[in-house]
Amino acid sequence: MVPLENYLVLSAIIFSLGVYGVLARRNAILILMSIELMLNAVSLNFIAFAAYLDPTKITGAIFAVFVITVAAAEVGLALAIVIRLFRNRATSNVDEAAIMKW
Amino acid sequence: MATEVLWWIFAAAIVVLSAGVVFSRSIIHSAIFLIGSLAGVGAMYIFLQMEFLALVQFLIYGGAVTVLILLALMLTRPDAPGHRQSLNGAQMPFALLVAAGLLVVLFAVITDTTWPGADIDALSEVPLTLVSERLFADFGAPFVIASALLLVALIGAIILARQEEGE
Amino acid sequence: MGAEQAWLLAAIPAGVFFVLAIFGRVLPRGGDYLGVAAILSSFILFFVVAADFLSFYDVDAHQTAITKSIEWSQIGAFELRQGIFVDPITITMFAVITTVALMVNIFSIGYMKGEPRYYWFFAVLQLFVASMLLLVMADNLLLVYISWELVGVCSFLLIGFYWEKRSATEAAKKAFITTRVGDVGLLIGIILLWKATGTFNIQEIIEAAEAGKIGENYLFVSIMFVFLGCMGKSAQVPFHVWLPDAREGPTPVSALTHAATMVVAGVYLTARLLPIFEVADGALLVVTIVGLTTALLTGFIAIAQTDIKKVLAYSTVGQLGFMFVALGTGEPAVGMFHLATHAFFKALLFLGSGSVIHATHHNQEMDKLGGLWKKMPITGTTFFIGSLALAGLPPLAGFWSKDEIFVALDHSWGAWAMILLGFSAVMTAFYTTRLFIRTFMGKPMDQHVHDHTHESGFVMTGPLIFLAILAATAGFVVFHDVGKALGFPGGITEFIFLPGEHPHRYEIDWAFAAASLAMAIVGIFIGAWMYWGNRLDRSTALAEWRPGLYQMIKHKFYFDEMYQAVIDRGVLGFSYVVSWFDRYVVNDTGVDGSAQITGFSGGILKYLQTGRVPNYAMAIALGVVGLAVAGLVVRG
Repeated sequence: MVPLENYLVLSAIIFSLGVYGVLARRNAILILMSIELMLNAVSLNFIAFAAYLDPTKITGAIFAVFVITVAAAEVGLALAIVIRLFRNRATSNVDEAAIMKW
Repeated sequence: MATEVLWWIFAAAIVVLSAGVVFSRSIIHSAIFLIGSLAGVGAMYIFLQMEFLALVQFLIYGGAVTVLILLALMLTRPDAPGHRQSLNGAQMPFALLVAAGLLVVLFAVITDTTWPGADIDALSEVPLTLVSERLFADFGAPFVIASALLLVALIGAIILARQEEGE
Repeated sequence: MGAEQAWLLAAIPAGVFFVLAIFGRVLPRGGDYLGVAAILSSFILFFVVAADFLSFYDVDAHQTAITKSIEWSQIGAFELRQGIFVDPITITMFAVITTVALMVNIFSIGYMKGEPRYYWFFAVLQLFVASMLLLVMADNLLLVYISWELVGVCSFLLIGFYWEKRSATEAAKKAFITTRVGDVGLLIGIILLWKATGTFNIQEIIEAAEAGKIGENYLFVSIMFVFLGCMGKSAQVPFHVWLPDAREGPTPVSALTHAATMVVAGVYLTARLLPIFEVADGALLVVTIVGLTTALLTGFIAIAQTDIKKVLAYSTVGQLGFMFVALGTGEPAVGMFHLATHAFFKALLFLGSGSVIHATHHNQEMDKLGGLWKKMPITGTTFFIGSLALAGLPPLAGFWSKDEIFVALDHSWGAWAMILLGFSAVMTAFYTTRLFIRTFMGKPMDQHVHDHTHESGFVMTGPLIFLAILAATAGFVVFHDVGKALGFPGGITEFIFLPGEHPHRYEIDWAFAAASLAMAIVGIFIGAWMYWGNRLDRSTALAEWRPGLYQMIKHKFYFDEMYQAVIDRGVLGFSYVVSWFDRYVVNDTGVDGSAQITGFSGGILKYLQTGRVPNYAMAIALGVVGLAVAGLVVRG
């Protein structure tokens, strides 16, 4: 029987890797993938808590469903933005989208 | 016992694949690693007796989302042919530091806490009917709103991505 | 319809003011008939109110005043009531105000013909009269103060009526600011009295003062503050400087201001509060001295002025001094009597001078007038009657009221005050004679002006005739039989008296009458001797006898220059310091300083805004990790 901590630590590792990817990488699509990793880590957390802590075992699962829904919407929109960015500036590097300043 | 061994194998695979996503030099490889990583998380759901969610995970993430990402990759040509750009931005060392710091903090919190449920021998299966009951009865309003959100996102994505006149 | 409805007297002109102010522009003839109708209805209503009041009035049954008030607001335990208070003083004031205002309104139709903003003149005139009527019937000091300020603002609007002229706007500002100095005193006085008694009601304050519920010194100080307001409004020295300048307004306004509305407000309020002055030890002496000083000083100044309206203005100030002296003797009847007679003949004189000015195409310098009697017989004759009334020749109105003042002085302050006031009375007779002779008698000084002069129309001469009759006869109300015949309990001294005192019947004291007559005749004789037949050599010789003295009088004792110097040195010097503080400390360090600090720090901090998305993401992540670490540390 795998204890709850194992799931949590696994989720923490995935999440931290996702954070690293978002902060370090330049490619917008890769940043999106990293965000997906983070979202998955969160979902995993939810479901692990649901399975171990919630007697009805279901609220966390419902949360995961909504996380997946929102993630799908977010990916769709974000990729549209990336395509837009690429079309306008011929790059998908976030460093080069730097007109948001003084 | 066999389950635990299997679990550890899957966990190691997820970590390796996730690391591959963020550290890989090729962005196509990253995408493929991502599929693996997401599938591994799906497997974790099965370990947690949530077959329905595992199914959703495989279908939506492993299928739809990654396909979408691959399509976007094809459309954007990450590297202009001839000159490869550096993968990481200038703040990579700080990113490493922050990610490591976050991991340490989370690890400290997790190990520091005594979690209930350590005495559970085996997880019981969650019937699919219960999921549907909860989703459509108790969480009816958020469900409708989420569908509206998806619709709005769909339309927004179309508007953002379509070719405008004169472009 | 009884005296309780006296508020209608003020409400009708006030309502017409709004109608005229809003619709006057589009009404035919500027709606002047509405103004006249409003005043006329007030005038008629006055008779109804007076008749009702007289049927109610009974001294023996202690029925001396009609009051009616409504609850205005309730603040905690303090209840503010607003209402009207009609007593003999109010009735007298009603008579004066409505009569003079009606005459001025009718006169204005002729005088103001063709002027720009014709409708606005009539509108403000109505408000002026309405606020004055409200002032004299207010039963509490708060309402007094409100109407007091309304009167002030109306005078400001009317004096500055020709605002295209710089001198007119300056005069309006001067009038407003000078009276404002006194008004501050009035407000302080009202607050002090309220603090001591917990009420604004005049009668309750008087009762409290008479019952000795207010400390002696406290009462003296607060009543002196109130008197400061009266001095400002009634243009007593040293606040007299605004009134002569107020001639910049249209002449009918001067007539109204000098006779019935603005300047008598101070006299009225002093008369109304006279019981408090009586209780406060020494207050009456202050009133007397202020009145005497004003009467003497302005008598001198008026001698050397050549502008008709200026002479009349100074004579008004002087006569107001007479009224204050009368009140200073502790007899409100005498003061109110002189107020009434003076209102009639001074309104007559001002309207007469308006008629002259109108006829000579805005010439009001005596040096260019003369010999107008033949050209303007009605104006000349009425002006003659008014002048003699002002000089105090029997049997005209001015004689009786002046005589009464001397009798009252004899009962109170004695010889010294009588001598000083007598001297002032002689001067009054002198400059009045000078004014009349140089304007109407002799040969014209400027033939061109003379040739273009013509008698004014009936709309202007009618009010003159009416006022001349009043100026000649109003003095007789002092007699018991005349008062009885008019429906009053008796002469004016038997009608108006302080509570707790008994009315006394007026009897001619032949010695005083002879002395009064002598003073008038001496003044008139000197005036005639100096100026008869266009001769100026005697007056020139007098002026050159002591050139310094003449210059001092000519320049009105340098009051304006003195105030100017005080303002230049004191106020401007202080303002310089304040402005330095404001500019360098408040502005540069405080206001600009904060802006500069913000701008400077913003200039540096803006480099944090790189515009690069990863930096922002990093900031968010750092924040999350930092908060988590902080949370851990706090929790231990």
